[in-house]
Amino acid sequence: MNEDAVLRVENLGHSYGRFKVIEDISLAIGKGETSALIGPNGAGKTTFYNAISGRFPPTRGKVYLNGEEITGLPSHRVVARGMCRSFQITNVFAELTVAENVFTPLIIQQNKHFKLYGNVYRDKLIVDKAMHTLEQVGFADRADQTVSSLAYGDKRLVEMAIVLAREPSVVLLDEPTAGMNPEETENMISLIKKLAKVSGTTFFITEHDMKVVFSLAEKIYVLHQGHLLAQGRPEEIRANEDVQEAYLGRKVHA
Amino acid sequence: MAVLKRHNLAGPAILVVLLAVGPLVMPTYWVMLLSEILIMGLMAMSFNLLFGFTGLLSFGQGAFFGLGAYTAALLLQNGFSNLFLILVAGMLVACVASLVVGFFSVRLDEIFFAMITLGFGMMFFSIAHNWIDVTGGSDGLPVFALPSLSLFGVELTFYTPVTMYYLVLVTVVLGSVLLWLVVHSPFGLILKSLRENKQRVAFVGGNVSRLRIAAFAISGTFTGLAGVLFCLFNNMASPEFMHWSFSAKPVIMSIIGGTGVFLGPLFGAGIFFVLEQVIIQYTENWMLFLGIVLIPIVLFFPDGVFGTLRKKLLRKV
Amino acid sequence: MDVLLMNMLNGLSWGMLLFLIAVGLTTIFGVLGVLNFAHGSLFMLGAYLCMQSMQFFDSFWFGLAVGPLCVVAIGVLIERFLLKKVYVRDVSYQLLLTFAVLLVLDDAVRMIWGSGYHVVEPPLILAGIINILGHDYPVYRFFLIFIGPVIGGLLWAFFHFTRWGKIIRAASYDNIMAEGVGINVPLLYTMVFALGTWLAAVGGALAAPQQSLVPSMGEKIIIESFIVVVVGGMGSFPGAFAGALLLGLLESFGTVFAGRLQMAIPYILLAVVLLVKPNGLFRKGI
Repeated sequence: MNEDAVLRVENLGHSYGRFKVIEDISLAIGKGETSALIGPNGAGKTTFYNAISGRFPPTRGKVYLNGEEITGLPSHRVVARGMCRSFQITNVFAELTVAENVFTPLIIQQNKHFKLYGNVYRDKLIVDKAMHTLEQVGFADRADQTVSSLAYGDKRLVEMAIVLAREPSVVLLDEPTAGMNPEETENMISLIKKLAKVSGTTFFITEHDMKVVFSLAEKIYVLHQGHLLAQGRPEEIRANEDVQEAYLGRKVHA
Repeated sequence: MAVLKRHNLAGPAILVVLLAVGPLVMPTYWVMLLSEILIMGLMAMSFNLLFGFTGLLSFGQGAFFGLGAYTAALLLQNGFSNLFLILVAGMLVACVASLVVGFFSVRLDEIFFAMITLGFGMMFFSIAHNWIDVTGGSDGLPVFALPSLSLFGVELTFYTPVTMYYLVLVTVVLGSVLLWLVVHSPFGLILKSLRENKQRVAFVGGNVSRLRIAAFAISGTFTGLAGVLFCLFNNMASPEFMHWSFSAKPVIMSIIGGTGVFLGPLFGAGIFFVLEQVIIQYTENWMLFLGIVLIPIVLFFPDGVFGTLRKKLLRKV
Repeated sequence: MDVLLMNMLNGLSWGMLLFLIAVGLTTIFGVLGVLNFAHGSLFMLGAYLCMQSMQFFDSFWFGLAVGPLCVVAIGVLIERFLLKKVYVRDVSYQLLLTFAVLLVLDDAVRMIWGSGYHVVEPPLILAGIINILGHDYPVYRFFLIFIGPVIGGLLWAFFHFTRWGKIIRAASYDNIMAEGVGINVPLLYTMVFALGTWLAAVGGALAAPQQSLVPSMGEKIIIESFIVVVVGGMGSFPGAFAGALLLGLLESFGTVFAGRLQMAIPYILLAVVLLVKPNGLFRKGI
């Protein structure tokens, strides 16, 4: 097992009552690596994400981030340690402006969330960093728009900006292109590629769209009925017969 | 580039000036009414920090209002007459109580939050109503001697309606300025983020419970301040302040005035009391007409009266 | 022992009234998603209109039959013209709108019947006193303890064995589902509100011979019904039954063991349940 992994999961399992949703999942993701978790609906991808990101503690197993154990920590602690996530259903601050959406994580990161005076817009440390993040996702010119007035794909980008603002070492993206049109999907793919290259951020995504998976991931993990069925480079996964039978095959011939 | 929002302070400044010169031209009765509007306005603005800005509907604010009032009454009855001491002590007691109530309540949302705060509020009501030795039971605690204030060697007292009005005005303006700072601070922005999406706040590193408790305590503290003022104004602390129907008042005022605007609840309080004065001249059934006025406001003015007017004006400018 | 029995009977009879009110409140919440602040006022109206319609034939039974139906008519108007418009709005606006309705109804009753007490005599057959284990106990309260489960049972049968009952049950589990299976949702909502109104009004009519009628009787009972509904689990039929009996008995026995703090019992119950089981004792679903 890779000891330098930025994210390492050991024998992770989660049950609802007697029902084991995921079982015995171990994986290690290297720094700067973009990987993808795939699997049919109900394979346990979102449960896995929730269990490692602090939505709820896993029933079994351990999670390490940058060598430190984070198993069962509440979400705000996991974020403080350097892992941030997006959600399948767009999760933004709808009635705030784009800028304010990005200010929020920065205020918390800079420990100013209990500061009872002062104007955020005058805080250079926050505004500059927010603008930097917004430039990355191509939103600098629309900072004053209310998020609820944006198009769907743009809202997803705002969520990306929220997730990226604190410069986390690991970013979990739960179906980042779900519901997007082909153009928006292309944009998202090139954005993730660019960010991975420029900032060295480690991306770990789940995705239904195989085109997205194969154009992004350097390593793919296949989840099937709660178990890790296979892992490897994209070409290995393509060639893997188990995977074809359990997942890709059905999908391709369907 | 994110544009720095310039706050328009001309309106509030004119309002303060008008309020300051008002008593010089107004009959005493209206001076007293205005005092009451300011006090309840402060309570409503404190409530709205929770409701409009944080998204938490508290139905137990009366408890903190009452605690402020009882603290003031008890101190005065026991011979303490320093105004600052009484104001600070009232706020402190309300702050501690709201920290405790907040600790238990903030884990709940929406209707459940409303119900548990109602429950806690009514527990305080039951105590005030039944602990007769200390609180005077349902009769409440009367206040005979008002506190005084030594300022630059001058001894100020507040026994006339006009002096009382100025005490209320200065305190409410100071309280509002502090609340305004909080609303527009980094903490205030996080509160709005919580209102919009508490899960997202948790997933960018915010401790949702602690942030909410802080909001609840700040709201409770200023509600306590309003309670102290009301006790001085009314010469009385009464368990009725803690009853849920009293806690409903800031809710009504905020929604009448508009929850999205900082001063909305204050205007709501004004509309509430002026309406009451007008209606009771014609009929005893003020509640009936309040209901009849409230219904269209809820149905057709989602931003409240003040909020809607402000939106219309801003659009024209 | 005697104290125990008396308090048990008092608690049960009060609990049955609470149940009738709470089950309507919880059904409305379960299907419409609205917590109706004016529900206590419908209870109060039930009592007043029962009293009023009794005067035509001088019969409590006539009042019990006709009074609640008049309240249902008012309830339908409230749902059609007011509530309907706030289903999609935030819960606080729903609370405030129904609170406004409460203000209007309570003050209207005050205008019509005055703010003084009114008394309704129980029907002769139930007016007496029965001797139980050496104690005198009003027959009427036994009647309440008996009629509560009867109405509850009929309601249960309605929910389980009739088409509309099944639809209401389904809708209380899943608000969206109803639309998918081709049901006239606005009609369903009106019917559910009418049913809830009827239950509250019957509760009021039944309470009339036992407590004096004042316009504020609705304001008092609405908070306790809220507590029953939250404690039992919002939108739960068995929850309303269990919650009502629990609160009724606790309040009754509270006079014995809690002394001065008796008044705080419902609120302590509410807070404890919310903290230990935030969703109430029973799962949602009628």
